[in-house]
Amino acid sequence: MEITMKKIISYSLMATMLLAASATFSSCEKVSPQGVLMGNTSVDDRVKQSLVNYSYIDVALDKILPNDMGEYSFLVGSDSHITIDPGRLTEMLETGMEHGDLFYCHLGDLADTKAEYYFNTSLALDLFKVDWAEKYLTVDEELSEISGKTIYIDKRTGCFGNLRDYRVPFYPVVGNHDITHNGWALFNDLFKTSFYEFTVQMGENGPIDRFIFIDSANGTLGEFQIDEIENGVFQRDKKEIRNTFVFTHTNIFRPSYNEFASTYCREELYYLLDKLADWKTTIMFCGHVHAWDDRMFGGVRHITMPSMNFVDHPSGGDDLLVRITVKKDGTYTMDRVGLYSKQRSKEELESDGYKTSTK
Amino acid sequence: MTTLQRLVIGLLAALAVGSASAQYYSGDHAYDGENRNEVSLSLTTGKNIITGPCIGNTVHYKHYFNNHWSIDGGANLQYTKELYGFKAKGEYHFQVKAFHMFASAEYMFNHYHRFNTNENVGNLSMRFERGYWDITLGGSLIGYNMMGDHYTEPLTLTFGAHATLRPRTHHWNVGLLFRNYDDFYYENWNINWGLDFYYRFSPRFKLFGEFDIRPAGSMSQLASKYETIGKVGLIYRWK
Repeated sequence: MEITMKKIISYSLMATMLLAASATFSSCEKVSPQGVLMGNTSVDDRVKQSLVNYSYIDVALDKILPNDMGEYSFLVGSDSHITIDPGRLTEMLETGMEHGDLFYCHLGDLADTKAEYYFNTSLALDLFKVDWAEKYLTVDEELSEISGKTIYIDKRTGCFGNLRDYRVPFYPVVGNHDITHNGWALFNDLFKTSFYEFTVQMGENGPIDRFIFIDSANGTLGEFQIDEIENGVFQRDKKEIRNTFVFTHTNIFRPSYNEFASTYCREELYYLLDKLADWKTTIMFCGHVHAWDDRMFGGVRHITMPSMNFVDHPSGGDDLLVRITVKKDGTYTMDRVGLYSKQRSKEELESDGYKTSTK
Repeated sequence: MTTLQRLVIGLLAALAVGSASAQYYSGDHAYDGENRNEVSLSLTTGKNIITGPCIGNTVHYKHYFNNHWSIDGGANLQYTKELYGFKAKGEYHFQVKAFHMFASAEYMFNHYHRFNTNENVGNLSMRFERGYWDITLGGSLIGYNMMGDHYTEPLTLTFGAHATLRPRTHHWNVGLLFRNYDDFYYENWNINWGLDFYYRFSPRFKLFGEFDIRPAGSMSQLASKYETIGKVGLIYRWK
């Protein structure tokens, strides 16, 4: 009888642990309960899909700057967790355009996975594209004549395409909240890839900087992505590289004891640090923990970014974004950039076409 | 000592110095009615996304000074991972009502040869045991050196839970576990999910084994394949 009771207690303990975990995780929209054991989207599948989609992107990502352009800059943000109001994303885009940044990078957790939130994200980018196109795009007569369509070219980067397919140079990586509840389908629909790179060349024969975006939304790079990296998918072997900037979601370093630790397993953590050094990385950018950290390790500068969302920073802040300015001689400067917009009312958002309720 | 015992010890010794590989999980060898010195060896094989198929070899020795104090040490040779390590641990066992409590302090060193990285880990933990389950809580300080730089991670929570089908005194058992540590690593949030078993076929010898799935990511990060490991080993115990 005693053994039976002990068994009952033992089984009850196990069942309680499972139920408690399930209840905790299922009560949060941001978490997928079954994802605790095995996610419903695999990094391997995403990377395979990314490599296929990458070849179908109409607009070439590599940029060749005019010979007389002395320097260029780009803006980095993270963890916008867009819901009904993509205002902070719009503010980031407008801030960058005002300053003349060449492009934008986002470190993932772009929107909280719901179709309506991705609709809002997409709409914000589309609305911004009109302003961007007006400022930077011109019709390329020669290409238009050859293709029989109106082809636009970015005056600064040489990137071209028809206006419908032209993408604002906004380069995100996928975050864990972008993939919960099958969110990859939504992210993929907008951005196509989670694993890609491009280069920026300073003039026709000038030095080349490269930008690598890797998928760590599951807290791992995954076997396939690692194989691809090891097989030389990036352009290291093809071109002489001056600066390498790497972007991913999951943090390597933990800003403090009360922030989430890195979730790379130990060997993967060491592999990644080793690989970044091997790439001669200038700066590695991570997000995920919503906290700032800046440190040198192994000759690589590691920057962990704060979030830019309304929940963490309802009144904004002076240091939610980072701007990197790359000089002609290859050195760079880093500036913290503020975001200050407040969340708009539902009425204002609806009048702009945003969706303020979810099904 | 019987012929069988000599044979088994000989086999253990040969494996320890041989080219085979093994890994022995020592962390949750629960109190089963008496404290006995023990030596063990186990074999690990599986697959890891970084290092591919892996096979390793671990030896472990535990010595009791009395019914309360014990020390143990272990060595780890993971050939295909090119991971080599050792650890030393002191433990104090006491009882509070029906709970067996184990307070432990541990130092672990790992050399990840593939990445030219040395890792030092210090851990303080408390294990609470009842007949059918045990829970471990503690803290780890993990530091590593590579490429001429050093980083010590902020204090990391150590946690584990284990429940068994039979009482610990039984001669066989099967259990389920989850924890963020194992023989020769302490992780952050990466949880190791496992099924373990043992079969005590004599007072001195015990066969044990474990099948672990160690996904990367956890909580809000959807878990994804990282490592799958099976291990099997023998423990020799004496008073």
